Amino acid sequence: MNKMTRGIWIAAAILAGVSARAQAQAPAPAPAPVKPFPIAYVEIDGDPRYEPLRVFERLVLKTRDRPFAGAQAGIEDAAPLKRVTGADFQLRRMTLKKAEEMAPEVIRAIDSGVAFFLIDAPAEAFRALAAAVKGREVLLFNISAPEDWLRRDLCSAEIIHAMPSRAQLMDGLVQYFVFRKWRDYLVLQGPSPEDAEVTAAFLRSAKKFGARIAAHQKFITGSDPRQRESNNPALLSAIGKDWDVTFVADSAFDFARDVSYRTVRARPVAGAIDLEPAAWHWTWEHNGAPQVNSHFGKITGGRKMESADWAARTAVKIIVQSALRSRSLDFETQRGFILGPGVFDGDKGLAMSVRPWDHQLRQAILLAAPYSVIASAPMEGFLHRLNELDTLGDDEAETPCKLSR
Amino acid sequence: MRILTSALAGAAFAGLAAAPLPAGAKDTGLIFVSNEKTNNLIILDPKTLKVVKDLKVSRRPRDMHFNAEHTLLYVACGDDDVIDVIDVATLAVVSKIATGASPETFAIDEKRRRIYVSNEEGSSLSVIDIDKGITIHEVPTGAEPEGVYVHEDGKSVYVTSEVSDLVHLVDPDSGAVLQDVVVGTRPRRFAATPDGRELWVTTELSGEVWIIDRAKFTASGKIDFLPPGMRKTDVTPVGIAMTKDGKTAFVTLGHASHIAFVDVASRKTLGYALVGKRSWGITLSKDEKTLYVANGLGDDVTIVDVASRKAITSVPAGRIPWGVVIDE
Repeated sequence: MNKMTRGIWIAAAILAGVSARAQAQAPAPAPAPVKPFPIAYVEIDGDPRYEPLRVFERLVLKTRDRPFAGAQAGIEDAAPLKRVTGADFQLRRMTLKKAEEMAPEVIRAIDSGVAFFLIDAPAEAFRALAAAVKGREVLLFNISAPEDWLRRDLCSAEIIHAMPSRAQLMDGLVQYFVFRKWRDYLVLQGPSPEDAEVTAAFLRSAKKFGARIAAHQKFITGSDPRQRESNNPALLSAIGKDWDVTFVADSAFDFARDVSYRTVRARPVAGAIDLEPAAWHWTWEHNGAPQVNSHFGKITGGRKMESADWAARTAVKIIVQSALRSRSLDFETQRGFILGPGVFDGDKGLAMSVRPWDHQLRQAILLAAPYSVIASAPMEGFLHRLNELDTLGDDEAETPCKLSR
Repeated sequence: MRILTSALAGAAFAGLAAAPLPAGAKDTGLIFVSNEKTNNLIILDPKTLKVVKDLKVSRRPRDMHFNAEHTLLYVACGDDDVIDVIDVATLAVVSKIATGASPETFAIDEKRRRIYVSNEEGSSLSVIDIDKGITIHEVPTGAEPEGVYVHEDGKSVYVTSEVSDLVHLVDPDSGAVLQDVVVGTRPRRFAATPDGRELWVTTELSGEVWIIDRAKFTASGKIDFLPPGMRKTDVTPVGIAMTKDGKTAFVTLGHASHIAFVDVASRKTLGYALVGKRSWGITLSKDEKTLYVANGLGDDVTIVDVASRKAITSVPAGRIPWGVVIDE
């Protein structure tokens, strides 16, 4: 035995002695044996959503990091619960080479005993996945795809959406504008299909809360003078009437950078830039958020926590809470708890729960300016007969998805 | 004694702008408010409620406790990982005690000369020898530990973990967590019934007070709150105080801007009083006639008359006032 191993052995003996003494003083009920509780984290190598956003090759605007550290934060928070839950929560990271591998690999993991998954994949990847897991004893948490069609049309009983839907995000944004009595919008829509989806969600929200579209313009990015009617913010905003807010849908995050200060009237910009609706923002400082942000910063070496990080952390937390609160590690019991009336803390104040009709997580939406959260929706005065969080996103009557029936 | 207290306090106010209090002053009645964002204690005259002194302390001062003689005031300062020690007579910081990362609340065991402090970011409870200023144990807890209660016999220490929804029972000698009990969401702070049977703990997010049977160390009940005209989701209980006879408890309801008056025996809410924005810290005066409530997002302190259950007045403090203590 070398010196070092002997040292460890002695330390272990001392620890054992301490715990024996502690037991003698106040006999605790014998703790249940702790068993491993795997949570799979599934992602796709080369997922284009994590390509850095660049102006030029060497000028990076946003790094766009994967939300794995959010899940790690959730796992670290669960460590003290080993004693009471009897579960040692562990992350099993599965990085797949392409989206087509997702369904078969998830099935393989289910067969090896994993029941809870965090899925970090583009919306399109959920089609095959939902079909493959249908009827299985499994819950998949969508931690990064906000597409409304996943909730409305794919409508899978095995998927829970921890990431807010576009409908939730845009409802939060429009609620805030209406709260301020800013009711007329200039909408600038980019060329991508994602821009079309975001715009559709915004228009729907505006209609829902009685706001008006002053003008809806499609822009293209570039500086071709022959296309100036479509690429120049001043000309795009010369609409012959006044408006309150310029809304920009620009997934490429290129044109959006040039809208502020370049419209014909001085009007605030929202959507892709300036005031963005989000699940999380690093400047949120209520409801225990400073500790959440600082814990995340420790794990990542100082990265700022974003929406998908929050969704990953929250998904782990919901799984852990289902074991803690139901006092069970039985899948059906845990599933029943997660989909039941039980509430979860998302560090955003209002108690969260899962909507039974489309499995979207009810949650507050943060309206984030670059250095401050301006407000948290639902805004005061937007009432709901049951739960104010259901003023954001698809209420039961607003979606074709009827998982509760 | 009370006449003397007032006279002294009056004298203190008259003289303090120019000169510090005479050394050895006691029961000054001075009201101390810790302010998280302005890194200071605002010290108020009990009669006039005017600022007697704006005392700079280490960053992010939060929980405060006097020693038994009220000669020293200890202040946990979250962003500098210390407890500042203030001489009550001279109103000056005289020393600092190192803690773990981001100390939030603490309890003092005078007999054993120990401080038990929760380290919000360190996920631990530090057991500190007051006189030597050294850490005897650093007990790992659930994430974001907050409320700390040490029983009179000094043999059991309780600490909440906000993230884990647990109350830990800690053995102060071995520095080990002996047992956990699961309570409501985001447990914050404690009050104990004087008979030693029950421990009351506020659970901020589930909007309740949970009651723990100390002998069995199990949850034996919970109390809900809903002040008139408020939303259930705004009911976020944090601070709690109890009368010495253990008959009445007072609970701050956070974003619901009210405090609740609770009959301890029946566990029924007797009424509510309107206070300021995001009320957290609450302190009962020694004569149990007045409550002082720190309104974190109102930057003020509301003073409430216990008998009528009405706010008398609110006075400005620093930014994000955390708690109030009174030298009496």
